[in-house]
Amino acid sequence: MSTPEVGVPRKGGFNFDLCRRNEMLFSKGIKPPSFLKTGTTIVGLVFKDGVVLGADTRATEGPIVADKNCEKIHYMAPNIYCCGAGTAADTEAVTDMISSQLQMHRYATGRESRVVTSLTLLKSHLFSYQGHVSAALVLGGVDVTGPHLHTIYPHGSTDTLPYATMGSGSLAAMAVFESKYKEGLTREEGIELVAEAICSGIFNDLGSGSNVDVCVITKGKTEYLRSHQLPNPRTYVSSKGYTFSKGLTEVLSTKITPLKQKQADTVPEGGDFMEE
Amino acid sequence: MMRIDTSGLDPFAPFTSASGDVYGDVLSVPSFELPRTTDFDGFQKKSVQMVKPAKGTTTLAFIFKDGVIVAADSRASMGGYICMSIVYLFFLHRTMIAGWDETGPGLYYVDSEGGRLKGKRFSVGSGSPYAYGVLDDGYRYNMSVEEAGELGRRAIYHATFRDAASGGVASVYHVGPNGWQKLSGDDVGDLHYKYYPVIAAPVEQEMSEAPSA
Amino acid sequence: MSIFEYNGSAVVAMVGKNCFAIASDRRLGVNLQTIATDFQRIHKIHPKLYIGLSGLATDVQTLSQKLAFRHKLYVLREERDMRPETFASLVSALLYEKRFGPYLCMPVIAGLGDDNVPFICTMDCLGAKELAKDFVVSGTASESLYGACESMFKADMEPDELFETISQALLASVDRDCLSGWGGHVLLVTPTEVHEKTLKGRMD
Repeated sequence: MSTPEVGVPRKGGFNFDLCRRNEMLFSKGIKPPSFLKTGTTIVGLVFKDGVVLGADTRATEGPIVADKNCEKIHYMAPNIYCCGAGTAADTEAVTDMISSQLQMHRYATGRESRVVTSLTLLKSHLFSYQGHVSAALVLGGVDVTGPHLHTIYPHGSTDTLPYATMGSGSLAAMAVFESKYKEGLTREEGIELVAEAICSGIFNDLGSGSNVDVCVITKGKTEYLRSHQLPNPRTYVSSKGYTFSKGLTEVLSTKITPLKQKQADTVPEGGDFMEE
Repeated sequence: MMRIDTSGLDPFAPFTSASGDVYGDVLSVPSFELPRTTDFDGFQKKSVQMVKPAKGTTTLAFIFKDGVIVAADSRASMGGYICMSIVYLFFLHRTMIAGWDETGPGLYYVDSEGGRLKGKRFSVGSGSPYAYGVLDDGYRYNMSVEEAGELGRRAIYHATFRDAASGGVASVYHVGPNGWQKLSGDDVGDLHYKYYPVIAAPVEQEMSEAPSA
Repeated sequence: MSIFEYNGSAVVAMVGKNCFAIASDRRLGVNLQTIATDFQRIHKIHPKLYIGLSGLATDVQTLSQKLAFRHKLYVLREERDMRPETFASLVSALLYEKRFGPYLCMPVIAGLGDDNVPFICTMDCLGAKELAKDFVVSGTASESLYGACESMFKADMEPDELFETISQALLASVDRDCLSGWGGHVLLVTPTEVHEKTLKGRMD
């Protein structure tokens, strides 16, 4: 018989312990918290030799820009990347989980991951949560069967497309693709078009902003061009900045704890946090 | 402007036509103005919402042998946001009226529903419960002006300490037979450390604990 | 009213040259009523790693105890302290596990890594990591803190200047927020020393 294991790390899966308590709080008129969202413009296209993915770098929390330079192009496998839009925690967690499954699969088979494999893993995860895991993804990669580009919606439906956009800036970006995309683009043309589509989202959609990240995947090679373009540099930086003289802030108490220098072979000590 | 006729409530009101003529304003029936809107309840709700966010503050007043003490803080907050840190309050504040006439000192509490109360001591605002605590404890009718002023200041200070929506400057006024006079105006940021002095503790040195990295 | 406004809080962390500082306010309130002015929101994980938790006080305490426990398990198993990046992933995983019934608090993590490289990061209550090179903020005063830090922060500050900057940013910000303040608490961590200071602030 198994004994109840108090506080031992769980094996996995979601935990619903606090749902009833939170529901009670929210029913009393206290507003639920807002989550970090990626307002987002994410795009992808297939070009002559592979796939180009692009994303803006703004993360919002309500009307506040919480992160001006976040990463929205997530690693799935060495030959597969995935752009995420929606609730930041969901896009991050879902791509992390599936990429670890892909890694395990590669260890087992010794072969390169296929884009369809990650597509199926992602969509079945999202479908099983009926849209409550709110991640909208653009998945792109090159595998043994050639370049592939897919979009995945939060409810688990997918599309296979030559060019795709997602997120709140998807319409602005799609306008660029619809007018300029053609088959057989070169690498440079592909990157340029993706950057233009992202810029269209950055400048026309309020939920998207800051910089352009690009990821180019070709047969046997992946280039992650972080901050490919910086169309929104900080407009004002004070030349001097604030200078506060030492001792300006009134302090009521001070405690100084010198730290022993790190040694190569130290036996761990409890430290006084054990007594808490 | 639409008007609601309240003359039915007053049997002796002289009948005149509704507003529009030259004497309209003077002679018209007792009435109050209504907003031009079809959704009156909605309008009312919205206007209350519009005014409501600017709440907070603490004000108090009490009568003692030498007159009336009126004291107030100076924070105006919107929701959780402090929009003006220094607003000097005059001695008629929102819902309290204090003064002196031939009958002696007078103090009235008036609320937004039209109620009026006469009394010896009142406090209004979000910090009023805390102010009442200090006021009720320290109140004596036979106080000197100095003692009374200090009681008012202390009550406001304690309200600003406990109430997040009160703060800024604690102003105290005295209303006597010969008019009003400001007794004090203290920044409660300094007042706290005056009431509860804190001596900066000497620097504490603790011997190291090895980080086991 | 948002759940984060129930208790009120302000937490901020800043990076300096081979050092970092993490600071918080000291108020614990229930709506507008101030209950305590010595509340701890910053918790020590090990001498070079700290977590500040803004938001609902009950979850702040629960989560900090869970994290201290998980770190102890890690030390027993690995015979070394956690790197800040590892710890951030642990916090993120712990929060995301409760995706559909979250802990109602937002962490700020600050630590010195292996080569005394400072690390700071914040998350929302679902565990979405937000790494930054300069400063991170959290709590009901976050809007004013963003403004203050955005203008006061300078890259590569020495410990003394970093302390003054983070303290002034905190004190200025909480004076514009009803629900936080009542003094401040600052931890300044350099490769050789930890300075723990309580700040004199407005008590209204």
